[in-house]
Amino acid sequence: MIQFWRILIAGARNFMRNMWLSTAATAVMTVTLTLIMMSFISNMAVTATIKGVTDKIDVSIFLKNTLTPDQINGLKQNLINSGNVASLTYVSPQQAVLNYKDQNKNNPQLIAALDQAGDALPSSIQVKAKDPKHLDVIEAVVSQSKNQQLLDPTAPPSYTGSRKATIDRIIRVASFFKTLGLAASAMFLVISTLIIFNTIRMAIFTRRDEIEIMKLVGATKWFIRGPFIFEAALYGIIAAVIATILSFLLLFGGATKVASYIDFSTTLSFFQTYIFLIIAAEFVLGITIGAVSSLLAMSRYLKL
Amino acid sequence: MILFDRVTKVYPNQMVALSGLNLHIQPKEFVTIVGASGAGKSTLIKLLTREEVHSSGKIIVGGLDYDTITDRDVPLVRRRIGVVFQDFKLLPGRRVGENVAFALEVSGARTREIKRAVPKMLKLVGLSSKEQAYPHELSGGERQRVAIARALIRQPKILIADEPTGNLDPKNAWEIIELLLKINRFGTTVLLTTHNKEIVNALKRRVITINRGRIVKDEEQGRYSLEGGKQ
Repeated sequence: MIQFWRILIAGARNFMRNMWLSTAATAVMTVTLTLIMMSFISNMAVTATIKGVTDKIDVSIFLKNTLTPDQINGLKQNLINSGNVASLTYVSPQQAVLNYKDQNKNNPQLIAALDQAGDALPSSIQVKAKDPKHLDVIEAVVSQSKNQQLLDPTAPPSYTGSRKATIDRIIRVASFFKTLGLAASAMFLVISTLIIFNTIRMAIFTRRDEIEIMKLVGATKWFIRGPFIFEAALYGIIAAVIATILSFLLLFGGATKVASYIDFSTTLSFFQTYIFLIIAAEFVLGITIGAVSSLLAMSRYLKL
Repeated sequence: MILFDRVTKVYPNQMVALSGLNLHIQPKEFVTIVGASGAGKSTLIKLLTREEVHSSGKIIVGGLDYDTITDRDVPLVRRRIGVVFQDFKLLPGRRVGENVAFALEVSGARTREIKRAVPKMLKLVGLSSKEQAYPHELSGGERQRVAIARALIRQPKILIADEPTGNLDPKNAWEIIELLLKINRFGTTVLLTTHNKEIVNALKRRVITINRGRIVKDEEQGRYSLEGGKQ
């Protein structure tokens, strides 16, 4: 135990002696950890947002009002067989009118116009897709000629309209940012490993006389290696503290500003629930990057 | 205490540094080893401290057969032997007291024990007032005394002094030799290598002369010479 403390003290002393290199290594590690954390946060938020948007997506298939229940059920079954249907609901003409009135209850003129027109709204099947990226399978079912005969010729299915394009765009942008975040995190992971590797390599060179003396007075290999590992782990520990503070400031400060566009509620509540686990993960990640980089440097340059 | 039985050391470049060397040193002896540069003195010491491994023969030090030593045991072997070098090998960033304490720290001694032992050892080498000084603030002779204090703090049975006076003026050199004699009187076996003729001749102790990796002369009260037979 006393040896362990001596190793920690020697590592901390080396950290202070190499202040400039230590600062550079800590800074790049901070950027890495912050990026990883932010990438994780935005990934969660974007996933929640997409889920929110897609949950609202209905493919509306408008039908002729003259169909028999068998015809309607046949179409429903065809849609379910497509494999991409999470749920579907039949909306009768009467229900459509009620829905319309409910949606426009503040606009008596529109309601009056509908009343004058009589049974003017078509019945429909509202489909919620399992995977909104693959509406084409639903589209294929609807396009079959036997099903085409069942559709209201005046109201084409709504997935062909602007909503589908918008949803597609949201999904495309979101997955682009997900990939970008992952790529940036991976790149900085490599950069910080290289920088720490180099810092420890330089430390080994500048302290080679000291290492030789340590060997000659009977220091064990781990007594010599230990301080280098702890020094690198210290970069990770300090970087984890800064990165955690930065990420939380960005999350809690920034979330309110973009709350109307992006759904942060799931992410915020996740962070509030798992705050200690997340902080621990940052520390473990920082220490691991530091320790692995210094072990790599030692395996190459510290021959004991 | 130290036994070399037909020890040969051949370096990877095929250079033969020691060739069938036989040597027996008794406990509490004070032995001086002399020889020209490249004669094999340094190799002999490196074999003792396990910086090098012998190619053949047998080395037994303090009852420990070096053939049985694994890599893991090497630090333990070094802790049993005190070594003093010509260039002192002190840690420049640490104070005198810390340098001496370091030898105890690596062997896992308790802090309380270290705090008790270091001032005692500095007193023995006459450096009580320099405990807080850094090595660069000391004279050559003082630095060598710090190195001796560090070598002795673990109370080794053997002290190896490899050219300890090589960088010192005659006055300081003699002070170091007197310190080594004092340590020897306390019961430590001392193995000294030196090029200093005056010191060897004045010591009137056992002198072993090495040439081309072999012992060419071994005398109980020897004098300095680099070749066998001549004095």
